[in-house]
Amino acid sequence: MAKITPTPVIVLKDLKKRFGLGDAEHYAIDGINLTIQKGEFIAIMGPSGCGKTTLLNILGLLDSKIEGDYELEDRSVATLSSRRQAHIRSQQIGFIFQSFNLITRMTVIENVALPLIYKGVTQTARLKQASAILHNFHLGEREYYMPHQLSGGQTQRVAIARALVNDPSIILADEPTGNLDSYASHIIMEELSDLHKRGNTIIMVTHNPRLTTYASRVITMLDGRIATDTQTPNRKSEAGAKRPLGKKKRAKRKKEQTA
Amino acid sequence: MRLLFINHIQNARQSLKSNRMRSLLTMLGIAIGIASITAILALSGGASRIVGNQIDALGGNIAVVRPGAPSNAVLNAGGQSPTQQQFASSTLTENDIDTIEKIPNITSVAPMMILSGAVKANKGTPVTTTIIASTPSLADTNNLTLREGQFLDPNLSPYTTVIGAQLSVNVFGTEDSIGKMITIRGQSFTIIGILKRDNNPINYNGVDFDSSAIISREAGRSLNQGALQIQQINLRSDSIATLDQVIIDTNKALLKNHFGEADFGVLSGDKIAEPTNRLFSVIAAATTAIAAISLLVGGIGIMNIMLVSVAERTREIGIRKALGASNADIVAQFLIESLALSIGGGVGGYVMGYILALGVSTFLPFDPVLTWGIALTAAIVSIVIGTLFGLYPAIRAARKDPIDALRQYD
Repeated sequence: MAKITPTPVIVLKDLKKRFGLGDAEHYAIDGINLTIQKGEFIAIMGPSGCGKTTLLNILGLLDSKIEGDYELEDRSVATLSSRRQAHIRSQQIGFIFQSFNLITRMTVIENVALPLIYKGVTQTARLKQASAILHNFHLGEREYYMPHQLSGGQTQRVAIARALVNDPSIILADEPTGNLDSYASHIIMEELSDLHKRGNTIIMVTHNPRLTTYASRVITMLDGRIATDTQTPNRKSEAGAKRPLGKKKRAKRKKEQTA
Repeated sequence: MRLLFINHIQNARQSLKSNRMRSLLTMLGIAIGIASITAILALSGGASRIVGNQIDALGGNIAVVRPGAPSNAVLNAGGQSPTQQQFASSTLTENDIDTIEKIPNITSVAPMMILSGAVKANKGTPVTTTIIASTPSLADTNNLTLREGQFLDPNLSPYTTVIGAQLSVNVFGTEDSIGKMITIRGQSFTIIGILKRDNNPINYNGVDFDSSAIISREAGRSLNQGALQIQQINLRSDSIATLDQVIIDTNKALLKNHFGEADFGVLSGDKIAEPTNRLFSVIAAATTAIAAISLLVGGIGIMNIMLVSVAERTREIGIRKALGASNADIVAQFLIESLALSIGGGVGGYVMGYILALGVSTFLPFDPVLTWGIALTAAIVSIVIGTLFGLYPAIRAARKDPIDALRQYD
């Protein structure tokens, strides 16, 4: 299991999100207090409509019309300008959507390189990085395919590759295996747990209880509130470790342990 | 930022390519507007060069004296051409001609008195035309060449005339009319010469020599109740080098004649062409204004297509925002796309405009001009249109809520 250094990345204090007005008013998130440490793998469970996706959108800075306080790395999100928020999305956050959300008129490699555009990487470097990450995901031969030419599992792997290409420290995944069969799900979950082991913070929304075995912490939500919050022994991800850490990451890890 | 710019251009190219037909039609809208403006400017530029070229062709050593103060140029900004009416009571007198003739370095001086009237042959129907009363030196100052016969001669009877080839055809049905008689204002004239056609209906004299009758100064005076109304005095110096001095001397001499009242203008070079050119520029301005309407329609077309494009790509906007695009990035993306449409249309329109102008000019006595000014105008107009009509859809795109945008299905 990855070492969790006690640095809170995300701190939510009495977070509320309201939809509708007047009689139709309704709190999708109704007072959530949550602290997420760096390097945690969190699975968020709960029935439809309990506010999981809304929470994920808020964490990903897509939705800033909130009540309460959201601190991302000690900075209150409410004080950030929209440009600054976009910058954080581009530098620190990787999104994996349930419905893949690839841009259909772009090739696989262009889709994967997309986040790098907003990071200001040159085209050659962009394609190089995107190609490298696609090779990691065993999609090296599909680089110039269009999204509609891929299978569901491949598409989702492309979507994950895109979320990871800018090397984000926080990965937000909304039912990453939602539409996939168990084999494809397995591959994707292996990828995620691999990322987790490299020290990334992962927050995953899922309906599938089996997937929670990959997580280090499982949160269940009900009616906009946190119902249960349990740390789990992370067996699967331990067993699923295939690739050793990179040289750099290893050195970093060592340093962290000695400190 | 530079990187993003290049990327936006690539992106725009891709997006426009994926909707080829739609992009082409939108560009066509702009192209038509730019084409008409280019054609108008090229043709009017060509038209305003005619007179200048004529003056150059005459050797560049000619000047004209026109009645009315030179400061009239400002008042005439409305663009009147020197019509007969304007100079109905001319400030130039026969005395002025005699004065100018005495100035050194002038080789020839010819007054032009323009009467309008009907010309008819013995039994024919009257033909309305221009009658110019002048002196024999008119042939020299205006480089008139004869097809047949001779020019006015002081030794001949004053009631002789030289007519343009077209007038001859109009009156007699043939260009060979030497020796025939025509009647002008009840007075019979013998035709002693036919002018060679020069096909220059537009010139600084304000007359078409091809269909004019030239009579002597004396005859003109008697046909106009003894008073000679001089609309213009043409003069030619012995060389280009002496022209400036001649103009100064002429000015001085005439000013003395007119008791210090500057109610005349001695013009040379481009200034001679000015009144004609003013007319052309007014026509060009009016037609450009009409062409601008088509450009407006083209611009609305761009806005329309961009709004459709934004609506179609709502989901893409959501994805891009989630992946770190700021509002400014989205605005830039769509703005560059609309600029690509308008500039593409502009380039196409510029080329189309010249082809159109060349086509039209085969029916006109002048060629279109190709200047950087017109290219610059076309470029600026397309950029302005692209920005103006692309801004609203782009801002709309940027303002989309990423969550709503992501929820929309392709």
